[in-house]
Amino acid sequence: MATVSYSSWHVFSRVCGSILGSYAFTWGFIAIGVSSLIGAGLEFHEASSLVSMLGFLVFLWAFCWAFVAASIARVWAVLAGGGAVMTLAGWWVSRALA
Amino acid sequence: MFASFRLSFAWLHTWFGLVLGFVLMVAFFFGSLSVFDREIDRWALPQTRIEAQPMPSFDKILASRFASITEPEPEEIEAASNRVTKPLPDKLTPSQYGAYTTHRDPVLGMYVGFDVPNSTLPDDHAYGEITIDPRDGHVLPHDQLALGSAFFYPMHFSLHITWHDIGYWIVALAAMAMLAAIVSGVVMHRKIFREFFTFRPGKKLLRSTLDLHNLTGVVALPFHFLWALSGLIIFAGIYFPVLEKLMQPLVEAHEREEAMHTGLDILPSGKPGTLASVDAMMAVAKERWASRGAPGEVGFLFVNHVGNSNASVSIYRDSTDRVATAEGLHFEGTTGRILFEDPPTGPIETVNAFLTGMHLQQFKHWTLRWLIFVGGFLSSTCIATGFIFFVEKRKHAHAAQGYGGSRWVDALAVTTVTGMVVATLFVLVMNRALPEDLAHRDSWEKSSFWLAWLLTLGHATWRSAAVLQARMSKAWVEQCWAIALSGALAVVLNAVTTGDHLGRTLSAGYWPVAGVDLMLLAFAFVAAIAARRLQQRATHASPASASLEEPERA
Amino acid sequence: MPDALLLMAALVFSVAGMGWLALAMDVHWNQVRASRRSPRIAVMLRVLGSVSLLTSLVLCLLADTATMAVLVWMMLLAVSAATIAFVLSSRPGVLAPLVVFSK
Repeated sequence: MATVSYSSWHVFSRVCGSILGSYAFTWGFIAIGVSSLIGAGLEFHEASSLVSMLGFLVFLWAFCWAFVAASIARVWAVLAGGGAVMTLAGWWVSRALA
Repeated sequence: MFASFRLSFAWLHTWFGLVLGFVLMVAFFFGSLSVFDREIDRWALPQTRIEAQPMPSFDKILASRFASITEPEPEEIEAASNRVTKPLPDKLTPSQYGAYTTHRDPVLGMYVGFDVPNSTLPDDHAYGEITIDPRDGHVLPHDQLALGSAFFYPMHFSLHITWHDIGYWIVALAAMAMLAAIVSGVVMHRKIFREFFTFRPGKKLLRSTLDLHNLTGVVALPFHFLWALSGLIIFAGIYFPVLEKLMQPLVEAHEREEAMHTGLDILPSGKPGTLASVDAMMAVAKERWASRGAPGEVGFLFVNHVGNSNASVSIYRDSTDRVATAEGLHFEGTTGRILFEDPPTGPIETVNAFLTGMHLQQFKHWTLRWLIFVGGFLSSTCIATGFIFFVEKRKHAHAAQGYGGSRWVDALAVTTVTGMVVATLFVLVMNRALPEDLAHRDSWEKSSFWLAWLLTLGHATWRSAAVLQARMSKAWVEQCWAIALSGALAVVLNAVTTGDHLGRTLSAGYWPVAGVDLMLLAFAFVAAIAARRLQQRATHASPASASLEEPERA
Repeated sequence: MPDALLLMAALVFSVAGMGWLALAMDVHWNQVRASRRSPRIAVMLRVLGSVSLLTSLVLCLLADTATMAVLVWMMLLAVSAATIAFVLSSRPGVLAPLVVFSK
């Protein structure tokens, strides 16, 4: 077993960060992705399908990254923070389009 | 998290693999059984043991049957009442008709979608459904459980946990854990090419288990990855409803544009109208497909805005000869003229349709469907050997420390590997053993499944006390024998209660029932051999050490 | 040629191909032949194996539409690799005919 000892809190935080953070990040990716692609002229269903499918791969990347990232603070900042920013941006772009 | 990339991934693989592995066993085992869901239905519902039928006449048969569905299912009403801001009216208006069949379906599933007013969801419906015999239209009894398509199949994507659809989310997390386990597994497996064909059953249990885990994981890696990913993609609308929740104006703008383009109205006109001959529309559709060199049967029939002047009829081909799902032809309901034909899908939608069609494999290619079935068993073996490896690696250390961790993992492993199979065979046995005209037969069958599974958990927990002394739990052997006995019993009961014994079904070439009987016998046979081998191993067991030739980290 | 025969042939080529690729590895070669294997033979086995797997793909493509064929081939590879692994672990001698050209 690993030589590094880690607290239960650390583990819990990483697990939450990876699951919830990745979800937020993916949500944001889809939001900005769909609205940008539709704005760029891609057909509605094509844009929506592409970004959803890629979304799961993005989730997978984020999920794994959360466990190799240097610190938990970084995990939350990048995934949850990035997710929030992208969601907001995506929502704003979609409003400009509709 | 750890000192190295590989260590972190090893932690991820071990712990997410372990915890979500129990869910994955269910998803892959019942997913594999779902390849033959219609065939299991035939076995479980003897009155449906007829040949597969094409979509029957709408005008003569389906129309009256749709009209006979006057209200949604009770569970649908209950679920809908949680989504509305005002109490539901006594009578709901039917607005959609749907009928769906494939090249393997002898009976036809039909549903009516009722409008749910004052719902928090846009365009909300509650559904009522029946199953009919397409040859004459008579309705099959409502409380007969189609064990394959209505029990095993939904189990694999929702675990039958319907409270706020949480079952879908648990399976999704498990699927994502599977993808992460594949990525981390590849990172951890340093000799992935050199050990591609390596399996050493003669070595100590820990080594041979790891060999088998690696072998089944690597050789079918594309399968594991694609099926987990495509399963997630199919339900993307549930997991990431970003457009609906966040960008409703954009969605509505697109819907309006699409409605203008296709002539298919979003809202009902409110003025009454009657349907023209839908049979004529189906004939037009079939002729159009044949003229393009792709003759086929109607797979899905959908009527929107039932009873309105702007009702539309959408007809989709049963795509037996290709992987991707089919495009539809849309007719004006009152006149039967073609409103719109779905154009060939764009490149991205085609990929999506391919992944969906690949996962659902409704196409007519028995070799491929059998190969997918085998793939599911390779996945199940990978997960099960993961559990066994986890326990074997730790049981001596845990026994020495008086710690119960591996004992509990072993108990849960038995329950989700052999226990799940025991419960599956038990419900098939009960399906034959219960009186045919028992009221609420479907509830009885479902309860017997859950009860059997619970009993295997109890049995496994009791027997796993042996793991506390680093010995093998007898539950493995005993449940293997239970599988062998119940598999054989199910075949016998089928012969006794229906007369369709293997002699008859094989000579008549009725493969759905013959196939299930043969599969039951194969399960029983393999389980018996496994039980004997395990018993021999137990009697000859020498205290095995937890070390391997090459130290693998946790 | 009827589809069923094409797919049977695809299976045979897939299993044989995996067998050759396996025997190109020292550890598995030694399960079938006592002699040491020369590097030349190893290369030849890898080429044979790869060509055999590609032939299997071509046969699949002849039997079905492209998208179905690719899926069939992918699953055949998985099943073939597993089969060869199980044969090597129980009766490796069965694979001796694959290297009949070498002592």
